Amino acid sequence: MADTAQSGAAAPGENILVAEEVTKVFPGVVANDAVNVEIRRGEIHCLLGENGAGKTTLADILYGVYQPDEGRVLLEGQPLDLQSPRDAIDAGIGMVHQHFELVPPLSVIENVVIGTPAKQWLDLTEARRRLEDFFESYDVHIDPDAEVGRLSVGEQQWVEIFKTLYFGVEILILDEPTAVLTPQGVEELFRILRAMRDEGLTIILITHKLREVMALSDRVTVLRRGRVVGTVDTADVDQLDLARMMVGREVLLQIDKAPSEPGDPVLEAEDVHLESDTGRGSLDGLSITVGSGEIVGVAGVSGNGQNALFDALVGVRHPSSGTIRIAGQDTTETSPYKIAALGVATVPADRIAQGLLMDFSVKENLVLGNHRSRQFARSGVLNRPRIDAFAAESIESFEIKTPSASQTTRTLSGGNLQKIIMARELSGMPSLIVAHQPTRGLDIAASEYVRRRLVQERDRGAGVLLMSEDLDEIFQLSDRIAVIFDGRIVAVAEPDTTTLEEIGMHMAGASSATGDTR
Amino acid sequence: MSEQVGDTASTGTGGEPGGGPTRRDPLSLLFQPGGWRLERRLETRAVHELYATLIALAITAVIIGLLVIIAGVSPLSAFSSLYDGAFGDRESALETLVQATPLILTGLAAAIAFRAGVWNIGGQGQFIAGAIGTWWVYDTMPGLPAPLLFVAMFAGAAVFGAVWASVASVLLVRYGTNEILTTVMLNFVIDYGLSWLLSGPWQANNTPYSQTERMVESTFLPRFFDDSRLHLGFAIALVMAAVVHFVVRRTTLGFELRAVGVNKQAAAYKGISTGAAIIAVMAISGALAGMAGAGELLGLHHRINFEFGEQMIGFTGIIIALVARLHPAGVIVVAIAFAGLLNGSTQMQIGTGIPAALVTVIEGVALVLVLLAAVACRYRLRRAAAHADESAEGPG
Repeated sequence: MADTAQSGAAAPGENILVAEEVTKVFPGVVANDAVNVEIRRGEIHCLLGENGAGKTTLADILYGVYQPDEGRVLLEGQPLDLQSPRDAIDAGIGMVHQHFELVPPLSVIENVVIGTPAKQWLDLTEARRRLEDFFESYDVHIDPDAEVGRLSVGEQQWVEIFKTLYFGVEILILDEPTAVLTPQGVEELFRILRAMRDEGLTIILITHKLREVMALSDRVTVLRRGRVVGTVDTADVDQLDLARMMVGREVLLQIDKAPSEPGDPVLEAEDVHLESDTGRGSLDGLSITVGSGEIVGVAGVSGNGQNALFDALVGVRHPSSGTIRIAGQDTTETSPYKIAALGVATVPADRIAQGLLMDFSVKENLVLGNHRSRQFARSGVLNRPRIDAFAAESIESFEIKTPSASQTTRTLSGGNLQKIIMARELSGMPSLIVAHQPTRGLDIAASEYVRRRLVQERDRGAGVLLMSEDLDEIFQLSDRIAVIFDGRIVAVAEPDTTTLEEIGMHMAGASSATGDTR
Repeated sequence: MSEQVGDTASTGTGGEPGGGPTRRDPLSLLFQPGGWRLERRLETRAVHELYATLIALAITAVIIGLLVIIAGVSPLSAFSSLYDGAFGDRESALETLVQATPLILTGLAAAIAFRAGVWNIGGQGQFIAGAIGTWWVYDTMPGLPAPLLFVAMFAGAAVFGAVWASVASVLLVRYGTNEILTTVMLNFVIDYGLSWLLSGPWQANNTPYSQTERMVESTFLPRFFDDSRLHLGFAIALVMAAVVHFVVRRTTLGFELRAVGVNKQAAAYKGISTGAAIIAVMAISGALAGMAGAGELLGLHHRINFEFGEQMIGFTGIIIALVARLHPAGVIVVAIAFAGLLNGSTQMQIGTGIPAALVTVIEGVALVLVLLAAVACRYRLRRAAAHADESAEGPG
């Protein structure tokens, strides 16, 4: 490998940037698992995958934000040791993040030159000349002296892109650049990205939108759960192929599951509207019913209202209209504490941010939320012997691997963190379980464990609402499948009478009868 | 210049890769390939924290020693006269405890609020509110029998302190107002409020001074010894430290306020009302600071005058809580140490000519270094990983 490096600059079409067996582990999550990606000079290469697939982590490694735990990055055949984004920029790699890194009160030109190294002369005239040339050649109209905070989001993106190009990068990484743009803005961006590619720039584009991949890229690498599923020429595939690669066809251990016998509804949500006031999404007339003794799977690409639905069911946000009834009671305006008291167990998608207190001990987390119950406290004083006994019992029956019940939760692995949550949530014989991405980031064994527990709870008579971006999981566990898109349930189907492709197209909002294609 | 450093650093790693010196930012020079790398610890153990704190205090002593040398005095004589003044004999040791009494309470007040992630910087104002509350009870309920009056006065102090703190917490919970700003501002408000009381409604008759009447002797807090001012307030402070420890570690309220302190979001998702926890902890915090005010008034001063808040007992409590890493037992130890510094500084000034203000410098340096130590002990130094070495073997 090092031999080819000596040949100097790679010709167009040759590999310019290569990630070799890159592995990156965060506490509890393997974000990248032996990832191999080859980027060719002068191509637009999409990194496609669902949220949590490891796209952004990979890009951050290529840009020096993170250092790989294993594996390495090669630039033109030579190993690259990036300790910081500064190193990456010096090596000719630039990145525009999803969240802009601009200084709003400064002007366009000031924002562009802001990264100039301290020992380099700051030549504003030269910078202005290059900025104007750049805008002119791509037919973009932005005043170099305008205050960045007053520009539109699309214009700010241009400033970000030019800021990156100003330092002479040859490889430009864009993280979900269209998330903030209007359809017209997307067209404009794509037109200019193509022009830049034709002039020799190598572009890496991170996205989870199939349409964009098809419209823009030369090649695409699909990631799923931190692993590379494959790299293909875009011309050789269609959206359906990519959807299949994205959601995966990995055959998992089959779970023995008897046909469900749904009883009375434990959850009835009707025409629920929830405003997006906390950045966790909105609901736009969502209706769904879950009976006791059945698992209803909610399939959807993330960002279509799953977080909002979870928040509304937990009770941390209240709908602006519509009703939610749990176990026959109207809980539309009820507090999280009282909803939990109705026998609702909740497994959040982000177990570290919403499910656990990482600085607390394992046993404290095992009683979190139930700490006020008669079992664990009397007149406001915690009953420590009972908490210890319950913790010991949970650690044993849920096979939580921890040195002791007093261990700081932060030190445990992802699978064990999820087991703590499961042990806690299932301890009260819940009548409704709301599980959001319960196996995200877990290894196969831990995933299977969580799934089997959910089926057991169903057989006991609990209703389960399972939100997941893993379609295999949805098909494997659900008695009914609902598809969420744009804050609404757009389709409900039985797993036996539908196909992965059909659900996938509903998830993309492409084939819905209303023709809602965004 | 930084390239110079880069070259020196790289000689130990077997030479730079071929393409000439690479540019690096100064910080990364410290962590060259093959050199050392800072890494976050997964878990910080209590012993790490203790060692780090002790090292920080040792460095504080060295820095202060250097300052003393610059001032032209032998650090040994400065420190020994400081120590003699603080703990040298029975009299000064007891006087140190006298000074520690309000500091323990305001330290606890800050510690419990900070545990819940609520930055109550208003201990000073709540301390004054406590004194006002004490005087108000004294003034309006003269008929109460002595034991009941003591209870009522302390309760009045606690309630006034709690109410004053609650102004900030209600604004925080209701409108999201930054509690650091509001608590700091409220310190000024009550300071001027007190000035008005002392020069108006509560001003002693026949005196030009801004002060209240002297309280009747039956309201003086009992003293432990004939030869010292050490009063019952010290015992109350120790009891309150135990109470705070119990509340924080053993009660559902403490569980909830710690939960809110480490992760508001998870706490809310698990049914804990973060607003209620914030209101409760600020009330407790204000009550503790208020009780400090009652102790000073009833144990030492017996009247409120315009100098009442001048020792900045509320602010010192914040530093004490942080240096003690928010542990109630630590608050007692640090409060006594800080009181010793205050108490000993007079003797140091007389004996060596070093200004007593040096004590403020010591407090400041200790705070900064202990906070740095708290961050530092979350990391460890390790040899850089093997893959980084490979890059040094590139073509060249």
